[in-house]
Amino acid sequence: MALNNKKEPILTINNVSKRFIKSLDLAGKIAQRFGADIREEVVHAVDRVSLNIQDGEVVGLVGESGCGKSTLGRVVAGVHEPSDGNVLFRGKAIEGLTGKDAQEAALKIQMIFQDPMSSLNPRLRVQDIIGEAPVVHGVVDSGNITDYVEEIMLRVGLDPSYARRYPHQFSGGQRQRIGIARALAVQPDFLVCDESVAALDVSIQAQVLNLFMRLRQELNLTYLFISHDLGVVEHLSDRVVIMYLGRVVEVAPTETLFADPNHPYTQALLAEVPRLETRQRKFAPVKGEIPSPIDPPTGCHFHPRCPKAFAKCHQETPALKEIESNRFSACHLND
Amino acid sequence: MSLSESPTIEVKDLKTYFFTKGGIARAVDGVSFSVGRGKVLGLVGESGSGKTVTGFSILGLVDEPGRIVGGEILYRGENLVSASPDRMRELRGVNISMIFQDPMMTLNPVLRIDTQMIEALQAHESISKDDARQRARDVLGQVGIASPDERLRSYPHQFSGGMRQRVAIAIALLNKPDLIVADEPTTALDVTIQGQILYEVQKLCSQTGTALIWITHDLSVVAGLADDICVMYAGRIVEQGSVNSVLDKPMHPYTDGLISSVPSRNKRGVPLAQIPGMAPSLLKLPKGCSFGPRCAHFSNACDSIPDISNYENGRQIRCHNPLGAGTTLRVTD
Repeated sequence: MALNNKKEPILTINNVSKRFIKSLDLAGKIAQRFGADIREEVVHAVDRVSLNIQDGEVVGLVGESGCGKSTLGRVVAGVHEPSDGNVLFRGKAIEGLTGKDAQEAALKIQMIFQDPMSSLNPRLRVQDIIGEAPVVHGVVDSGNITDYVEEIMLRVGLDPSYARRYPHQFSGGQRQRIGIARALAVQPDFLVCDESVAALDVSIQAQVLNLFMRLRQELNLTYLFISHDLGVVEHLSDRVVIMYLGRVVEVAPTETLFADPNHPYTQALLAEVPRLETRQRKFAPVKGEIPSPIDPPTGCHFHPRCPKAFAKCHQETPALKEIESNRFSACHLND
Repeated sequence: MSLSESPTIEVKDLKTYFFTKGGIARAVDGVSFSVGRGKVLGLVGESGSGKTVTGFSILGLVDEPGRIVGGEILYRGENLVSASPDRMRELRGVNISMIFQDPMMTLNPVLRIDTQMIEALQAHESISKDDARQRARDVLGQVGIASPDERLRSYPHQFSGGMRQRVAIAIALLNKPDLIVADEPTTALDVTIQGQILYEVQKLCSQTGTALIWITHDLSVVAGLADDICVMYAGRIVEQGSVNSVLDKPMHPYTDGLISSVPSRNKRGVPLAQIPGMAPSLLKLPKGCSFGPRCAHFSNACDSIPDISNYENGRQIRCHNPLGAGTTLRVTD
């Protein structure tokens, strides 16, 4: 789908940071008072991220564990509050909203989690899992809820005769469909999908991905699709955002990114993706581990593992710059 | 595989059943394959297909209510199914090792790495503590752990996930085994870390001649690593052959379905080819071919369980209606 920059984006992430702070306990505070070299531990999970998402767009958010992609998703979905910056939904800052407006915005952005077993209440029947929120929020009358749940279940490919069952009576793929049904029940415009197909078998994963694509067309949904699986993201997304250690390193339309990755990290990531077409290949891995977000490297976060790093990379943080129209990359090599 | 050299491991018609209250679950039902020196076999299947139980059977790790009820597992000609528990203990960790998906299954959380590695060495041979430490140090270096001396004195929780898996692999390598069974060892790891582990494993097999059975659900990983592939479905191998032949010309409809449902194989934005339905419960297998109810090529013949048919280049397929059968030569034995 073509990007239309003139339209107002459905969601704007404006310079958002999220820090998690482990504050000192009493013993720590006393020790500090006496001059011990201990400080609060601060994890910069998300570090000044900005992003616009257009109506109807699917944005894939890719990165390895600890890069902050889930945290960013949770900030967008309103699970976490940003430490700095703000998130705008249809031009209005979510944080500043009160009362009915706040509730409206919260309903319009829904989240689908990785593990449906830990995100569904095991003691509720499926009809209550799906039907509770729309009744509470007045999306439907409690009198019509059975029909409404039935309609939603049909939409996500679940047999409505299972409405009185519990989550443990379903397979993994079906449970994920329940999670999707629950999110859809409050009629959202925007879905944050956090590794929503990662736990599923290949053949079931294809079924759920197809469901996501069908729903997008039927309901004109916008997705922020978080995944570590580049194959899935390539298939589904219009645009891909690559994160590394809390920062966005590259943003590009899907085809461009996969054909011609700009950032060295993106290049390394794409080279490591196992593909059916490459047989008995020689693996030539990126060196080193992902650094700890408690103590990130100076300058460009990727420089200790980057084969092209030079002096400037150690000192200066590269800014995310537009290198072509609609393409952004944070690398000193582009200067 | 050259015919002159006998394979490191040969599994013949292996049957491992679980006798549960709900009935008999035939987790592994007539599985046969072999792996030669320095070769990598990819054992591919979805959850519940019996791939892990096959691995456990080779190591003699099947617990109650499971039991190997038939077949042979020949390790260098010795049948492990009838081997005594003492003999299995001798072999396990020395000649045959296993790498688990979760490295914390291998590592004891309250012991330092050096304690665990030295223990694994001293359990199998009389070796002094200093020599054992030296060997442990070398092996850690071999799997790409920087500053192994310092790392030996660490506890498992001080390592990252990728490092822990390296340590688990190092322990599997300690006694230079002839055969390693690796059960989804990189599934929980990030792409760049997975690349590093695959690199180490590949180097090891080609350098030391270790035979490797790599159990996974991910066809793409196997494509880059393995020489041969076995595809399992509901306890049986439905297709086996060389990586190139199986992935380029899948003959079993299930293999074909798996390959076409990989996202990168599909055009962007177009619905993925999908296999309808889901894998059956092992306690309630459909009559005849277990894949029948999900298969687009179902015919009346599929009401009976298909036998293995042999095709050129050692290809074996369990299907009444194999795809592209006209183009591949069938071998009668």
